This record gives sequence, C-alpha cells and structure tokens, in this order.
Amino acid sequence: MSPAGTAPRVRYTALACTVAAAIAGVLTGVALSATGPVTGVADVSGAVSVGIPLTRALFDLAAVVTVGLAVLPVLVGADQHRTAEPVLARARIGTVAGALVWTTTALVLLVLQTAEFRPGAATIGLGDIRDYAGSLAAGKALLVVTGLTLGLAGLGLLRIRLGERVPPEFPIGLGLLALLPLPVTGHAAGTALGDLTMISMELHVLSAVAWTGGLGAMAMLLLGNRVLLAGALPRFSRLATVCLLVSAATGLFNGLAEIVLNPAVEPLPGLFTTAYGRLVLLKVLCLGAIAALGAHVRWRLLPRIERREHTALATWVSAELLVMGLAFGLAAVLARAPVN
Amino acid sequence: MTRLRRAALIAGLAALTLLGVAAPASAHNVLISSDPAEGDRLATAPRQVTLTFDQEVQDAGTNEVAVTGPEGGRWAEGPVRVDRNVVTAPLRPLGPAGEYVIGFRILSADGHSVSDEIRFTLTEAGQGTPASTSPAAGGQGGDQAGQGDQANQGTDQEAAESSTGVPVWVWILGAVVLLAIGLTVALRMGSSPGKRS
Repeated sequence: MSPAGTAPRVRYTALACTVAAAIAGVLTGVALSATGPVTGVADVSGAVSVGIPLTRALFDLAAVVTVGLAVLPVLVGADQHRTAEPVLARARIGTVAGALVWTTTALVLLVLQTAEFRPGAATIGLGDIRDYAGSLAAGKALLVVTGLTLGLAGLGLLRIRLGERVPPEFPIGLGLLALLPLPVTGHAAGTALGDLTMISMELHVLSAVAWTGGLGAMAMLLLGNRVLLAGALPRFSRLATVCLLVSAATGLFNGLAEIVLNPAVEPLPGLFTTAYGRLVLLKVLCLGAIAALGAHVRWRLLPRIERREHTALATWVSAELLVMGLAFGLAAVLARAPVN
Repeated sequence: MTRLRRAALIAGLAALTLLGVAAPASAHNVLISSDPAEGDRLATAPRQVTLTFDQEVQDAGTNEVAVTGPEGGRWAEGPVRVDRNVVTAPLRPLGPAGEYVIGFRILSADGHSVSDEIRFTLTEAGQGTPASTSPAAGGQGGDQAGQGDQANQGTDQEAAESSTGVPVWVWILGAVVLLAIGLTVALRMGSSPGKRS
C-alpha cells in the first residue's frame, strides 16, 4: 500500500503559528491588564509578572499538543491503524515530547509563582518552593500536574515500545486528568456557586484543549495524507461541534459570573470598563472567528475532502489554529486578571 | 446529552443573573471598605489601617501593608494581622500634614495576590516621626529594601532569611536543560525500536 512505509512529513508551521499567536495573546492581555506599582510595597519584578502568563500559555499549548497527539489514533480510526502506522509512530513520539514540555513548564510555573509569592526575595530556594506548595493549593496542583505528566511521558514511552497494543485511551485519559488540578485552584475556587463555576471551568478547559489539540495534531501529521484525512476530518468535525458548544457556554458562564459576582463592579459596564471584561470580549471575538473558520472547513471543504479532492485546507486550518493560539494566550492572562 | 448540559448551564447563567450581587463571591478578593477610606480628610491621625475584603484573606506570611507620607518615610509599623476578611496594620503616630498613601498586597482566597493604593489626607500635622527612611536595616543582606521598616509579618522575615536559594533564571535554565536531556533520551528510545514491527 502506498502511504505505509514512507515517513510522513511533519508540518511544524501550524505549531509555530499557534505558539506565536499565543505569545501575542499574552502580551496583548498583559498590556490590557497591567497595573502600576503600589507605593511602599515590594514589587513583583516585571520579568516574573510577564513570565507567569507566558509560561502558562506554553504550559497550556504543551497540554494541547500532548492531548491532541494522544487523540490522533482515535481520530484516524482503528480500521486505519495499519495504513496510518508511520503517522501514529510520529504521534507517539510527539506525545512523549509534549508531555515532557508540559512537565517542565509546570515546574517553571511553580518557581515563578513562588517568586511572585515572595516579591522581596532575590533568590528562590527549595525551601521557598516547599513553603509555597505547602501553603497554597496552586502549588500543590502544579506538583500533581508534574507527577501526572511524568506518568504520561512514561506511558508514551511504553507506547513507543509496544505501539498501538497499549490502547490510546490510556494516554488520553491521563492527559485529560492532568488538565483538571490547575483550574480547581484558580478564580473559580470558592463557595457554593464555586462548585458550579468550577465544573464549568473544568469543562471549558477540557473542551478547549481537546478541540485545539485535535485540530493541531491533524494539521501537523495528517494534512499530507488525503486518505487518512478523509476518515479523520469528519470524526474531528463532530468532536469540534461538541467542543465549540461546550467551551462557548462554559466560557461565557465563567466570564460573566466573575464580573457579576464582583461587588465592586457594575456587571454591564464592567464588561467594557474593566480589563477582565475586555479580555472576555476579546475571547468572544476569537470564538466567533474560530466558529466561522470551522464552519467554512465543515461545510465548504469537508465534502470535497471526503471525495479526496485537493483543497486549501492547510491555509484555513492554520488560520483557525492562529486564532486558537491567540485565545489561549488571552486565557493565560485572564485566568489571573483581577476584575478591576 | 450535550444539549442537556448546555441547557443546564444556560439555566445556571440565568439564575445567576437573577441572583446578581447577592450571590456568594468566588475569585479575587475585592476591597469593600477601609479605614481610613480613599479620599478621607482627617484632623487626627489614625492609630491603624483597617482593610475589609469581601472574603477571607489567606494568612501565609506574605501580606504587606505600607503607609508612605507626604515627604516619604514609612509610617506603618508592626505586624500585619489577618482576621478572616479583615486586615489590620498598626501605624506610628503620623507627622506632617498632607497626603498619605496606603499601599497593600494581600493573598486572595484564590491564591492570587491583590494589591492597590488608598490615599487619605492628614489636615493637621502630628508629632510623629517616620521609621528610618533609609531602607534595609542591617543583617538582612540581599533581602528586599526597607523590609525592616515595613509592616511585614514576622514569618516573612524568618522565611526570607532562611532562603539560601538561587535566582529564578537559574531554576528556569536548569528546567530547560533537564527538558533537553529528557527529550533527547525519549527520542533516542523512540527511534531505536524502529526495526521492530
């Protein structure tokens, strides 16, 4: 058979576009939400306060790539695993690499947040990090994520050795599990309503990562293979529809809840006057753009791809990933931005 | 299934909008009131600063309150106390008339820090003198400037002294090197069994 045996070309441009867009998103978000120094109080250094959302964005994208590549065997379909073996072998290596980047960014985030926690200290020791993780849920969550992603990397190595005999559902499950600890400790943490906003936030993260990851993995590995694409894209399209609806509903719910619940801000003007509100609006714009691009792929390109015709899919998918990267960058700032 | 979940979320959103501000808060702490308050004009100097937030402040030893006078100087002195959602910091007797700035950074219930400034004016000069304006009382080498003058919590200073760490960039560099090693090993392992299958 033709595709088997030949090493597939990996398109890194899609990944590069997404990372660049995420960095742009972080910088936009930081510029929008920047607050001046406070008189008399030790300042968090600029490098740390920009470094945290930047690292958070890379952390999120590492999660996206890892989960996306883990989902790829399911998108390709079990019946195609023989044909797709060269592609899947690449995906397995990518999952391990992604999981290791994920672990590293989690540890860097832990160090940066410890530095933010003690703005006065010039140096950070192991004791400081232990203090931080001991006293703050966010620190514990990062340690849990580190453990889970290391486990994911180990599982990935096992899959490299044993191939698809280790079911792809294992890394998918572990990857999705590793997404859960961090949102629990963020804004949504709290009281009775906190439970609702927390579940909503978890759903938001899960759907956004699965959606972007699936698209990114296809963009990196499947675009050159029309046979596999014809099978995978319709499956992804169904996943994407669900994810779009879930992430839109949960994102709106959480963003609005954050503003409505703030006793110091009037909800409706707050959406336009506060940095938080503006970031929410920017993300809604991103969502609209992604939905439009996705709709074009779904209704214009997909029928032709199913007939295995040539299309300009790569361009459209790259554009969609670009906007998704931007949304992740904004999210990294939004997750920490105060409503004021 | 999804439609159901979505419907539930929309219903939740509607309920939330109805409940409005009455609903319990989550997320960043918000300053509800302070004493002295923003823009206050006081004839007599306050004895302490009281900050009231909408939810509990985490007492992890990093909360800071500083009061800076019209001619500089630091006027907050002594430990910052946290009682659930109320933060208090004692003041020295204030000195010259003019604008004083209260700067604070506290640790929110959600683990993020919240900082802001509150300005009030003292209309009649008092007798007080600021804590020494020259920062860094000795013995704190390398620690934050002026820590000795600041109304920090005792634990903060102890912790800062015990930290014999390295700058943040060293940690990051270390992490990146570890990542490079990990990736190399993983990719080696990935390429070796290629002949199998």
